[in-house]
Amino acid sequence: MKHGAPVSGLGLLRQRLFATPLDVAITLACAGILWFTAVPLLKWMLFNATITGASRSDCAPGGACWVLIRARFDQYMYGFYPAGERWRVNAAGLLLALGIAIASWKAMPLRGPMLAAAIFGFPVLGVWLLYGGLGLPVVETRVWGGLMLTVFMSVYGGLLAVPLGILLALGRQSELPIIRTLSVIFIEFWRGVPIIAVIFLASLLIPLIMPSGIGVDRLARAVIGLGFVIAAYMAEAVRGGLQAIPQGQREAAAALGLGYWPTMRLIVLPQALRISLPAITNEFISLVKNTTLVLVVSIFDLLGIAQAAITDPNWAGLNKESYIFAGAIYWIVCFALSRWSRALERRQDDRALKPSAG
Amino acid sequence: MTTLLAFINNRAVRDAFWQAVVAISVAGLLVYFVRNASDNMVKAGIASGFDFLGRTSGIDVPFVLTGYVPQSSIAALLWVGVVNTMLVAAVSIVLATILGFFIGLARLSSNWLLSTLAGAYVEFVRNIPLLFFVLFWYSVVIGALPQPRESLSIFSIAFLNNRGLTIPVATDGTALRWAALVAVLSLLLQVALALYAARRRRLTGRSLPIGSIALVTALLIPLAAFGIAAAQTPWEIPALRGFNYRGGFVLVPEFVALLGSLATYTAGFIAEVVRGGIQAVPKGQIEAARALGLSSGQTLRLVTVPLALRVVIPPLTSQYLNVLKNSSFGAAIAYPEIVSLFMGSALNATGQAIEIIAITLAIYLGMGLLVSLFMAWFNARMTLVTR
Repeated sequence: MKHGAPVSGLGLLRQRLFATPLDVAITLACAGILWFTAVPLLKWMLFNATITGASRSDCAPGGACWVLIRARFDQYMYGFYPAGERWRVNAAGLLLALGIAIASWKAMPLRGPMLAAAIFGFPVLGVWLLYGGLGLPVVETRVWGGLMLTVFMSVYGGLLAVPLGILLALGRQSELPIIRTLSVIFIEFWRGVPIIAVIFLASLLIPLIMPSGIGVDRLARAVIGLGFVIAAYMAEAVRGGLQAIPQGQREAAAALGLGYWPTMRLIVLPQALRISLPAITNEFISLVKNTTLVLVVSIFDLLGIAQAAITDPNWAGLNKESYIFAGAIYWIVCFALSRWSRALERRQDDRALKPSAG
Repeated sequence: MTTLLAFINNRAVRDAFWQAVVAISVAGLLVYFVRNASDNMVKAGIASGFDFLGRTSGIDVPFVLTGYVPQSSIAALLWVGVVNTMLVAAVSIVLATILGFFIGLARLSSNWLLSTLAGAYVEFVRNIPLLFFVLFWYSVVIGALPQPRESLSIFSIAFLNNRGLTIPVATDGTALRWAALVAVLSLLLQVALALYAARRRRLTGRSLPIGSIALVTALLIPLAAFGIAAAQTPWEIPALRGFNYRGGFVLVPEFVALLGSLATYTAGFIAEVVRGGIQAVPKGQIEAARALGLSSGQTLRLVTVPLALRVVIPPLTSQYLNVLKNSSFGAAIAYPEIVSLFMGSALNATGQAIEIIAITLAIYLGMGLLVSLFMAWFNARMTLVTR
């Protein structure tokens, strides 16, 4: 395609779709594919769909039946969390939103202490709200489920994976041979095995290696397994950032008399983490996607609830609707995260092009 | 006092000290875990060791390519899992590469509609969990297939229905084995010719039409050999008897679902790899090739593809490795691969958690190590030599 003088309207259409006979053929073939797939799909999903109603008998033939989602919406969101206690899940969700707001509001007064409180305080507060104890009735993790469980595993898996990943990345770059070797073994081991095997492993092995009498919650085992694997991938993401920091930065810090940890904390990591943030976000997306694997140890996250819903004989035959609803939520979350990661990357590229502006 | 301070502040001393601290705590933690595990196993009455591998498994497997029967040993069961994993991974890799290659090229098309469609496909599959696709294929796609009586016929030799894909089998494989031998010999000939051509060009500057020769040796001869062999081989064509097909070999629905989801999902990632590789070729290289008088075909073959390949191969290999690991998603729909057969069925039957977990992880790590070694070798070969 030659890019000549700017064209507009019909000219642009012609240039982009009908430039050569081959182009015309491709355009027609694509239009044909759309006509035979997207059009019936839209008809099924929207125009012929049943949206109102209360039971399977309200479903009209020839279209999707979203009544199932309406009827079981709470289950998709909260799993089997007791209805009277669901405000706690909502409160924990608000806490998460507040934490994100604190993290992203750059000009907030007292940002440092607030951020520290959010990072160290909110996770504890969240577990207390969701699990209970200390005045709140206990809700066993067995009844947790749905979107709330997916978010829980993603957030706590991430809270485990990011610090561990940073430590492992530093260990892999370390000049101390024992620490470097241990980090490399840890990283390569977890990156080399399938996550589904790790979740089996965590659920079987953790009870075995703990002293008898100390039980580790089933959900906690899954989160630890996920966290370890993602930490290994995070470590590689952070390593990319560390390698981008010129050696001169460390040498300058050493010349100023800074030791290893102050150098890392004040000079290297702030720059390296900013560079690797897009890669870290991508690993987080993969964590969100991989939380679905807890299905194999009978923990019902959003996808698990979607699968459980279709085994209900009252709603037989609505497999597509149930899966598509769950899939759409995953897609929206992951797509938004990947756009954010790409925007970060672009901003960095711009900054790299204009060093004076940074 | 000052000597003590100097000793404490000595960098070598501090490094050794902290390394010792880390090493001792890791070792201590490991010893602690192992002692707990052996205590717990003694309490539960589980014997340790690998003797259980020789025991009769008694597990019925619906999809077997080896000679396994329920009376076989647990080691044979593991081998069934390994073969099934390899099979689904290999076929998925081939399909995903072809599909991903075309989608990646389509994304770079100047045709707006085509590139947008390809982009939409990539954004669609990359942002949804693979397990969603596996379950969706298993429940919705396979569920939508017809009963055996109304099977979709593929050239009247293979039949697709909700019990799986029934394909013909050779009752006598002699001719096919000969064909495979011919194909391998022909490929070896091609390799030798390519080496000779490279040497000749280095020495004399004259080139052989190695591309056209490859078309014959690597494509035409093997195809002809297999074509003739297939015509000579007695085939068992599946035929409808009663409510299902008899004869032939049934690829179970779990295999079809896992294959379909792995291939379409991975294709989205491979498309991005291919796009990245082609975009990474500097425009100046192509312009320089054209300025030297190379035709557009020669430019593609001698400049664009070798340069793009250098960028593409490492991420492509890691995608292949992902397919190998992701084939374990079959455990969610009970496709009999390593994790579901060995970590699932065999572990339930024997209770030998630690040994079984160790073997399973070792298999995956071993396969991964092989691929990594190959990648290192390939990268070393392909690195641009600047003269």
